[in-house]
Amino acid sequence: MYDFDAIIVGSGMSGGWVAKELAERGLKVAVIERGRDIDPVEDYKDHVDPWDTPNLGRKTPEDIKKHPIQSEVYAYNQNTKQYWVDDNEHPYITPEGQDYKWRRGYHKGGRSLMWGRQTYRLSEIDFEANKKENIGVDWPVRYKDIAPWYDHVERFAGISGSSEGLEILPDSVFQPAHELTCAEDVFKEKVESSFPGRKVIPGRVAHLTQPTEEQMELGRGKCQSRALCERGCIFGAYFSSVSATLPAAERTGNMTMITNVAVHKLEYDHEKNRISGVQTVDVKTKATKTYTARMVFLNAGTIPSTMILLNSANAHFPNGLANSSGQLGKNLMDHVGCASAGGTMPGMMDKYHVGRRPNGFYIPRFRNHTEEGQDFVRGYGYQGRIYRYGNQNVNSPGVGEEYKMTGRKPGPWSYSIIAFAEILPDERNRITLHSSKKDKWGLPVPIIDAKMRENEIKLIKQATKDGIEMMKAAGIVNPRHDNPENPHIPAHGNGIHEMGTARMGRDPNTSVLNGFNQSWDIPNLFISDGSFMTSGGCQNPSLTYMAFSARAADHAAKLLKDGVI
Amino acid sequence: MMSNLNEGRRDTIKALLAISATGALTACKPKTRDDSKSVSGNRDLVYAAKGQFFNAKEFAFLSAVAQTIMPKTDTAGAIEAGVPETIQSLVSEWGDDSFRAYWRAGLRGVSNELEGSFAALSPAERQAKLADYDSKVFNDSIEDKFYKDMKHTIVSAYYMSEPGATEELHYDPVPGDFRGCVPFSEIGKAWAT
Repeated sequence: MYDFDAIIVGSGMSGGWVAKELAERGLKVAVIERGRDIDPVEDYKDHVDPWDTPNLGRKTPEDIKKHPIQSEVYAYNQNTKQYWVDDNEHPYITPEGQDYKWRRGYHKGGRSLMWGRQTYRLSEIDFEANKKENIGVDWPVRYKDIAPWYDHVERFAGISGSSEGLEILPDSVFQPAHELTCAEDVFKEKVESSFPGRKVIPGRVAHLTQPTEEQMELGRGKCQSRALCERGCIFGAYFSSVSATLPAAERTGNMTMITNVAVHKLEYDHEKNRISGVQTVDVKTKATKTYTARMVFLNAGTIPSTMILLNSANAHFPNGLANSSGQLGKNLMDHVGCASAGGTMPGMMDKYHVGRRPNGFYIPRFRNHTEEGQDFVRGYGYQGRIYRYGNQNVNSPGVGEEYKMTGRKPGPWSYSIIAFAEILPDERNRITLHSSKKDKWGLPVPIIDAKMRENEIKLIKQATKDGIEMMKAAGIVNPRHDNPENPHIPAHGNGIHEMGTARMGRDPNTSVLNGFNQSWDIPNLFISDGSFMTSGGCQNPSLTYMAFSARAADHAAKLLKDGVI
Repeated sequence: MMSNLNEGRRDTIKALLAISATGALTACKPKTRDDSKSVSGNRDLVYAAKGQFFNAKEFAFLSAVAQTIMPKTDTAGAIEAGVPETIQSLVSEWGDDSFRAYWRAGLRGVSNELEGSFAALSPAERQAKLADYDSKVFNDSIEDKFYKDMKHTIVSAYYMSEPGATEELHYDPVPGDFRGCVPFSEIGKAWAT
């Protein structure tokens, strides 16, 4: 009677997890992916040497024409450009005088292929914050509810990091951490002795440094320190849907992968109060087709999942499907990458590093925790590195043999850092659909209206000040940094961590989802991409999407088996 | 299953590395301009379409400058590393007309400053002449942004070339474990990437 037990819309970071968990519980699942299939051997460019990289790695005029928004991303280059959307085909609108940077890729695995791989747990402090500060709504879960699911996803995904026992940043199930460099060890010692409430720790990343049997069985191997990650990794050493969750789902024999098919609408059966069908468009032929399943998971990404529900409005849900709360599309969050700074750590010229670490150091949040925040809530963490770079002579005087020899020496220990600050849920930051404009497949174009507000701007200023003080304490010379009174305020979206537009909560009147990522309104609808996030913390969020996706899938499978849905 | 998979991956990587090495050799072969065909329409665009925007004189001048900045020593010089061809292709195929015009005018400017036929000088004469000009540009007694940009491009292209990366510097495509603090003497040279 149904085509599948479950349809999962989107194959990225969270959709891959839902597919794996449901398929492993014996459910027949279909993953509908709007982008193309990915074949690691064909599509990954991690074998391309510098001398085979076209145009000295420079972006072409065609790149900029095709990808005016995507080509600004740090991870966009001549060996990764195949993964980023054609901006002309995927328009969105922002209010006059306001920007939004929507960075994305449509293909099997989604952004799990190009992500930054930094993986941090949220803590009890994060889950309690909204309630304590009366901001947004209270999370319907606490740390103890999600901790076992963090364990579960970390064991499978493989997280490299060091156990620190910090309340603000709970430890994961770790594989060995990447080493800090000599200069980072000095930085750590100086920062921690000058600021007793601050810690400098190795970054935590979803890289295999000591692969398990389970990981090797899936064809994954140890990280080779090439730092070519965003090209795709033939070793499968970093976690992606393509390297890990989708192969795990595939080997159950229970998954059907459908690529090049976009979901436009969910059909709703009012009598049974269920999602009864998933309307799709073939992105190549524009042929339409409706698939059916006993339940539907939206994992298309925060903005696309919201677009699908808004586009599925009907007589019973005039403001968007599953939106009786009116919260759908509101509270769009991100993290703001700010307070970037740099300089030189003098000395240690007789020391060097081996390999290209796809990672750096991390300074967990200390504001409104071990140190007070003056007139703001929440805080920020920092990511940075101190590294010796080559090509030191390209901008130096000199010609000939002597000049050439200077290039054989690496430069001094170069310090760089950026803060990631929390953005509060705010109903004014929201997504709506344009009343008439549509994309080439007929889906209404979204209007994305979000900007940095008072608390974020205070965080950015304080992060800049704190960053300058840490540079001073660590003896960084030739410092470069923003003016803390007038810092650069990046546009929303630049953090590439869209979250919050279908938040979970404790009350159906003020939230879209319950504590198991299930729609309050329609029991066979689940959403476990970033849109469920009730608040964002300042930690990179993918690990939290993974844990909630696995937990939601477990819950949904039980409901299905018990005949509840 | 597991070892098969890993073996398959290793073979794939080896095969891919082999292919890319062949590709590099092909790319290093100098392209020659076909002067026998008559050029019609926009001369620059025709050159660009053929991947040969710089004429013989410009190419010789660029090559001489590149080789003077990065001469052949115990490792390849800029010419042996294919730098002039790389820049020829960058300007011809990557750049647009304004980028090409910028390079043509820039090269002419530097060439005029150096006076006479730079390419025809002996290596020692070229070294003396260019060193003098270079120091004036870098101490700001002459303003020549193009020269700085050209030098940056030449030297970057050299370090991205196969001999530049693998002989002049250290290149390790698959380093294995990352080590954060080792004596520099163990490595001896800067990493290429």
